[in-house]
Amino acid sequence: MARVLLVDDEDEVRAALKRRLDREGYEVTTAGSADEARQALHGNATYDIVVTDMSMEDSDSGLRVLEQALTCDIFTEVIVLTAYGNVANAVESMRRGAFDYLEKNVPGVDAYEVLTIKMAQAMERRRTAVNTVRRLEHQVRTLSHAD
Amino acid sequence: MRAHAVGRGSILLDMDGLAPHTRTPDEGFLHDLDSLFTDAAGGQGDAAMLQRVLDASMRAVAGTRGFLALVDRETGDMEVGPISGPDWTDEKRLLRLSLAHEAKRGITGNVAVTGEPHLTGDAPSDPLYIPYFADVRSEIAVPIMGTSGHSWGVINIESERADAFGRGDLARLRVLAHAAATALRVQGFRSRESALVEIGNDLTTTFNTDDLMRRVVSVAADVLRFEDCSVFLIDEITRRLVLRASQGALAGEVGQADYAVGEGLTGWVAQTGEALRVCEPYRDARWRGRHTEFPDHEIAALLAVPIVSRGGILGVIRVLRRKGRRAWVSNDFSEAEQRVLSTIASQVGAAVENARSHQRLMQSERMAAWGELSARSAHMIGNRTFALKGDLNEGGYLVGQMPPGPLREEMGGLFRSMSRGVTRLEEILREFRDFVMATQLTRAQVDVRELLLETLEESWPKRSGVTLTTDIPEGLPAIACDAPKLKRAISELLENAVSFQPSGGSVTVAARRVAHDETQERRLPPGRDYVQIEVADSGPGVPAEAKERIFQPFYTSRAKGMGLGLSIVKGIVESHEGLIREAGTSGAGARFLLFLPASDR
Repeated sequence: MARVLLVDDEDEVRAALKRRLDREGYEVTTAGSADEARQALHGNATYDIVVTDMSMEDSDSGLRVLEQALTCDIFTEVIVLTAYGNVANAVESMRRGAFDYLEKNVPGVDAYEVLTIKMAQAMERRRTAVNTVRRLEHQVRTLSHAD
Repeated sequence: MRAHAVGRGSILLDMDGLAPHTRTPDEGFLHDLDSLFTDAAGGQGDAAMLQRVLDASMRAVAGTRGFLALVDRETGDMEVGPISGPDWTDEKRLLRLSLAHEAKRGITGNVAVTGEPHLTGDAPSDPLYIPYFADVRSEIAVPIMGTSGHSWGVINIESERADAFGRGDLARLRVLAHAAATALRVQGFRSRESALVEIGNDLTTTFNTDDLMRRVVSVAADVLRFEDCSVFLIDEITRRLVLRASQGALAGEVGQADYAVGEGLTGWVAQTGEALRVCEPYRDARWRGRHTEFPDHEIAALLAVPIVSRGGILGVIRVLRRKGRRAWVSNDFSEAEQRVLSTIASQVGAAVENARSHQRLMQSERMAAWGELSARSAHMIGNRTFALKGDLNEGGYLVGQMPPGPLREEMGGLFRSMSRGVTRLEEILREFRDFVMATQLTRAQVDVRELLLETLEESWPKRSGVTLTTDIPEGLPAIACDAPKLKRAISELLENAVSFQPSGGSVTVAARRVAHDETQERRLPPGRDYVQIEVADSGPGVPAEAKERIFQPFYTSRAKGMGLGLSIVKGIVESHEGLIREAGTSGAGARFLLFLPASDR
């Protein structure tokens, strides 16, 4: 089962997202701040996907969560939630290795639906990346045995 | 013994110690002169000082009767000031000497007009003499000369004896007239100084520019003699010289009367930053005379000085003087008057700059507070809405799990309605954020053609009964703009154009380079080219009376949105130093013209 770390400073938002992701079958851990997220990431558990809000304590808290997630596990896929109009930060998060970003308040667009689709895609990419690395490791081992 | 300045003659020092009756006539005269000059230099120039000059004159020439008359520089007439001797009546004392008619001005008037002293030992047979007193036989009159070569007044002494006065008396009176002139001049400096200090004080405490200009004009009126003092300031947006304050008739045109920089004499001063002092200005080739308080040919002289600050030329203070009855009085402005006006102008310059930066500060503080408040509330509302949307989704999902039946139908309808409400909320939120952020630009050089084509690609409805025509040539100048915001502005116009033509029609999008004149927009700064972007449709158009109002916030003729659409467009365009106007004809379609400054010129 895919493990997800969900980071948002608003209780209602966390609850609503968690409810949906639970229903989708993810194993969700929540964090209420960039700091809590850092503790979770440095704990024993590993996460396949991190979904984080961009603007929490400050307007680029999400970038810090992204950085910590990638430091702990380069294959973790990060999806950043942004407010409308914060394009600059969204682009910056892509530049720093986020899987994608998602605007929370697009009129007429079901952001939850979009999120679950993006998470499925992110899981797919992670699987591919991990498989590739395993194959390469296997080849390296095979080659070194052949020596 | 009184202390005297170093260098004063010892004879005069000694005289102070002598009792008056022991002085010779010459010693008495010199003593009078000494104290008069001392006090005149000390700034005493009031009526009492002039009385002392007259009294000293009477003693110096042993006259029977005397008076000191002053030229009224406003009317050009003379009026009697201090008097001395017997037989004066109120009627005689209040007599005004008109100097306009040669035959009626008498000895005193003639001395004032010619600047030459007059001496007669047989007054009744003097052709200039006009008898005011029966017993006069001799008369001596000397002018009090001002700095410009024109007389300020006359000292006149009479005697009942024939041939009472000689050349020595003339010489004495001339020296005393000097003392009077010195006293008047020093007092003039004093009053200018205090007027300047008064202006200075006002300027540091007033932040309202228009109030300030009114004070300047009224105080300047006390210092300089003029008929028309006007202050023109260069408008920060239109770069035209606009009248900000005026004395008299032009006061009704404040805020309206204007000159282009470089136009007329006033415009010349604003352009060159040099002061200008001319007689009969209407003869000058640069003269336009568009805004004056009296007819051109009545203007004797013009004095105009630039108002300069660190940032450059802010405007012009202009003073006009009228010709007329007192043609013999100097109408020219003197260099001293120019210096005074320049001093006022430099104080005004500092004050205007001060007031403007104060205003900018207030404005930016208000904007910062407003921006902060809006950003925070939009963020919070956005998050709550997002959570609400999630809950509604889950609610809707659970309803879908219920067994089919009327309850499920009803609840499903309820959830769909709530979801529509949330969507509506998100639309309002988006409009609000667009409105707030319209003026926060991140600019880069952008190809207008590319920007327009991209906008059409992204925003033009895929299915629509409206035909699109474009005229967007290559080679348009680049503009420094925030591309996403400008796209937002144009797509708003496109969306409007389409939505007002539900049963089909046409929309034209065109762009071209225009010179400043072609924009027909005086509000745009001249001296550069603009890119004109046109969005026109064949819909109902905008009624003439609504052409301005449609750009105001919350104006809407549709049910959708908050009615911020066009005010967002206006905000975006204007923060690019551009302008938007609706130039269509009601009933024949709307036609929006956007002007944005071209980067190359």
